[in-house]
Amino acid sequence: MRERANGGRPRTFILTGATGFLGGHLMAALLERGDRLVVLGRASKGMPLRERISRYLDWLGQADRSDQVETAESDFLRPFCGLSAARYEALRSRALPIIHSASDTRFSELKRREIVEANVHGLKGILELAGDSRAPFFHYISTAYAAGIGQTRCPERVEVSGAFANVYEESKAQAEQNVIAACRRRKIPYTLIRPSIVYGDSRTGRSTRFNALYFHVRSLQLIRDIYLNDIRTNDGRKSREHGAALDENGILHLPLRVILPRRGSLNLVPIDYFVSATLAILDEPKEGFIYHLTSPHSKDLEELAAYCESFLKIKGIEFRYGPPNGEPVSPPEALLNRFIESYRPYLADARHFERDHTDQATGGLPVPELTYENFKRCVDYAVSVGWDAGHVS
Amino acid sequence: MDDVLTTAKSCRHYAMCKIDFLNSGICPSGPERGYDSFYPQGRMALYAALAEGRTPVTRGVVEVAESCDLCGKCDYQCYFVTEMRPTRVMAALKDFVARHIRSGGTVERAAEDSLLKEIRAIVGEEWAENDRGIAAAYSRDPGPLTQPRTPAYVVLPGTRGEVSALLRLLHEKGIPWSVRGNGSQNMGLVLSEGAVIDLCRMKDIVFDEKNWVVRVGAGVSAFEAQREAVRRGYRVNVAEPAALVCANVVCSGIFSTFMPSYGVAAGNFVDADFVARDGSLFSLSEKTAPNLFAFRPTDQESPGICTGLSLKLHPTTPDESGILIPFASREEALRFIKDCSIRRIGLAISLLGPEYASVFLAPTKRLAAEVKDVFTEKLGIPYLVLLIGDAYAIRSVAEMGRPAFDQRLFRAIALGLPSLRSAPWLELLDRISADEPYSYLKIKSFAEMAEVALAPSPKQLCRDVDPDLRPFFERLFARPEMTDLVWLSMFRILSARMGREKQFSVNIVFLPLEEKLIGEIIEEFRQVADRHRLKHDLGFITPIDEGKRCLLEYDYFFDQNDPDEIARTRRAAQDAGAVIEAYSSRLGTIRWIRHVVNQGVSRSENLLYT
Repeated sequence: MRERANGGRPRTFILTGATGFLGGHLMAALLERGDRLVVLGRASKGMPLRERISRYLDWLGQADRSDQVETAESDFLRPFCGLSAARYEALRSRALPIIHSASDTRFSELKRREIVEANVHGLKGILELAGDSRAPFFHYISTAYAAGIGQTRCPERVEVSGAFANVYEESKAQAEQNVIAACRRRKIPYTLIRPSIVYGDSRTGRSTRFNALYFHVRSLQLIRDIYLNDIRTNDGRKSREHGAALDENGILHLPLRVILPRRGSLNLVPIDYFVSATLAILDEPKEGFIYHLTSPHSKDLEELAAYCESFLKIKGIEFRYGPPNGEPVSPPEALLNRFIESYRPYLADARHFERDHTDQATGGLPVPELTYENFKRCVDYAVSVGWDAGHVS
Repeated sequence: MDDVLTTAKSCRHYAMCKIDFLNSGICPSGPERGYDSFYPQGRMALYAALAEGRTPVTRGVVEVAESCDLCGKCDYQCYFVTEMRPTRVMAALKDFVARHIRSGGTVERAAEDSLLKEIRAIVGEEWAENDRGIAAAYSRDPGPLTQPRTPAYVVLPGTRGEVSALLRLLHEKGIPWSVRGNGSQNMGLVLSEGAVIDLCRMKDIVFDEKNWVVRVGAGVSAFEAQREAVRRGYRVNVAEPAALVCANVVCSGIFSTFMPSYGVAAGNFVDADFVARDGSLFSLSEKTAPNLFAFRPTDQESPGICTGLSLKLHPTTPDESGILIPFASREEALRFIKDCSIRRIGLAISLLGPEYASVFLAPTKRLAAEVKDVFTEKLGIPYLVLLIGDAYAIRSVAEMGRPAFDQRLFRAIALGLPSLRSAPWLELLDRISADEPYSYLKIKSFAEMAEVALAPSPKQLCRDVDPDLRPFFERLFARPEMTDLVWLSMFRILSARMGREKQFSVNIVFLPLEEKLIGEIIEEFRQVADRHRLKHDLGFITPIDEGKRCLLEYDYFFDQNDPDEIARTRRAAQDAGAVIEAYSSRLGTIRWIRHVVNQGVSRSENLLYT
């Protein structure tokens, strides 16, 4: 059983994004410690919100706590969050703290309209609810990367950066500005909680989402399997043309050069750390504070590549740094490049995130390191479920 | 019904056994004797008639049975198209006749009546018959709208003069007649109780390259005309490979994927020779000829028999190739084909429905179903646009930002289909597609990667083919043209596969290339099919005349041996016809294929706009 700081009494929060990776885990943790939730969200693919939440709680082993959850199907782009006047009024009158975790986490510029709509325009409705209800606190789950790419040292304060790696970062930075402006205008205390890249549970390996870190492993696994299949079931001629060969130890040697502008590292935190740190912040939030839920030790990309090689029994990933050198790109390299394209800015990332606020709020809660054992546990889990959490994801 | 009889009664009458489309050779007795009964298609009909007691054993039947040496060529041809094995029907036919004779059964000898004598005096002794066994092959049509009719005479004239004399005679004697191409016609226009005139002997192909035409006789098939044109470095705009060009022009105006650049109806030829119903001769370009260039949107009488056509020759360039462009929605695909047509990008262009694409590609029914699932579900490709063009056209499509399956990737997929169904990497392709649809197609050397992943080879493709046929099909699919989109689009040997699972009935209309109108009409066709519980699907949509108009085919599928399903298809065809008539009279811009029959030689402007 999770405990509340200072032995406080159970509370009720409004939570959005509870069917997502971060919001869902946060929901389970809040319920586990006895809090109650009003979850605002949408039905999806014909499945009502209530059922989506039940399934998520079941997956997290918290099915018996669903009676602590009220659900209200909402649409943040519509007036009164798409709720009936009576429902909105009832909710407004309760004056509950709000955790806004709903977000469109895609990076694609082609999806700019939808991303901005969800992350920026969709914020308006929930901020109005916060204002109308005089919410005691508004907690916005943002991203550490809202800091933008204009700086290498990122303080826990809002510094407007003109440059972003993608529309996701840009929209989250804009959303932060909007949260600050609206909360100041309506005199609502707020926090901005900024996690970096979140992966599965460091203790169990479980996860409901397999993007970011996982996506690279999966991409490499699929490319590996294409060559293994060619070598084992065909004559492997094509594999030889691409320089791929299987050695006597079952290691596939496959040259895969990745060209990056500079050596970079990924800032990764496990979901269990995100949850614990967020709960601590929710217990004693500091008005107007930004919290970086990041790792003090970003993981060097070459070390992560070595993890991948060990896990997948492959050899040949090679990083080259500097501008593209015009060397011909092999077919597997071209495919890998396309797979990882949207993550490419993060692979050469040199940002360091200050985290004094977080350390203070969490009492120095340590961030579990992504050791090879943790990595293997998480990826083993992903493989075991076929990279798909099914109805929960 | 036993398996052999079911096979015999399931012949689609596509006449693919009458053309050498696999370069395997064809049943030698067919070209030698001419009559449909001496081809596998006719033998199938004959066996069904004998087995069901609809025809006696005649002298002609014995000759037909003896003419087959069970070489098995028809198995290659028919399996390619329908997955059926006619050779066992041929064996059953021989066995039936042998048993009949062994058991002392009589062999009917039809007496030569006075009319037959006169007909034979015109066409020659061996080219006219009143043998009921020979006639059996001309008595039925697997379309839903026809009733069987056995002709009293089957006549095979060899020249325009013979056709003229024959029609004069029949006219004088008041004998009804119908003219017949290679296969059949699903409105039943090839059936007659009087005489059926089979034009298969009129196979002249004469090139007049100075005037960019090839003159084809009435018995020349689309495949034969195209083959000869290609040999000389040209292309002709023709349709289904086994269809006789002259008949096809008269009945449909020729619809093909090359319509956007080569046109339709009279746009396809320079002149056409006819024998009028009274036996008189005329050519369309004569000042005094009947005005068949006009078009009227009603049923029209046959103007006579088209005995020859000066078909336009089109130049080709060595840089032509084909691409397939995927689309998530029909509307988006329609906008694209219209845009290409307006800009005159591409020689051939057509929007293909999912049934078309998968059935065309896969050599077996089972694989076709799996491929359809891969395309629509895993890859999110419900629609494909086929575009054939020169290097400039292909480059233009790329510049329009459209990802496409190029020729190399098409080959990898076509020969690697069995691997496609179980490829785990497709899921990742779908995922990166979420950012930009089908963007994986823009990956440099993706085709080469697909070759590693799919291990494409004729052997791989033929994994599910009947074991005894595999060596032949492996050799067949090793031929470059079998995976060449340009060749396949010109010769159209895959389109007959549409009827592999079931016979199909077509709804074809010429109409404005407008998304909303097309959507409405497709929805109407769909509702009709659902109401009559028929399988149905969009066939294809091809733009015409700079995207001002298009041709739309929507297909209803039915079991040709199921009377209930045939009856439902007949009602569905009538209902769909009523839909077309209603739109046509309301808008005045829609033309129904039914009205094009007998008016396919009209000026395209008249057909489309008056």
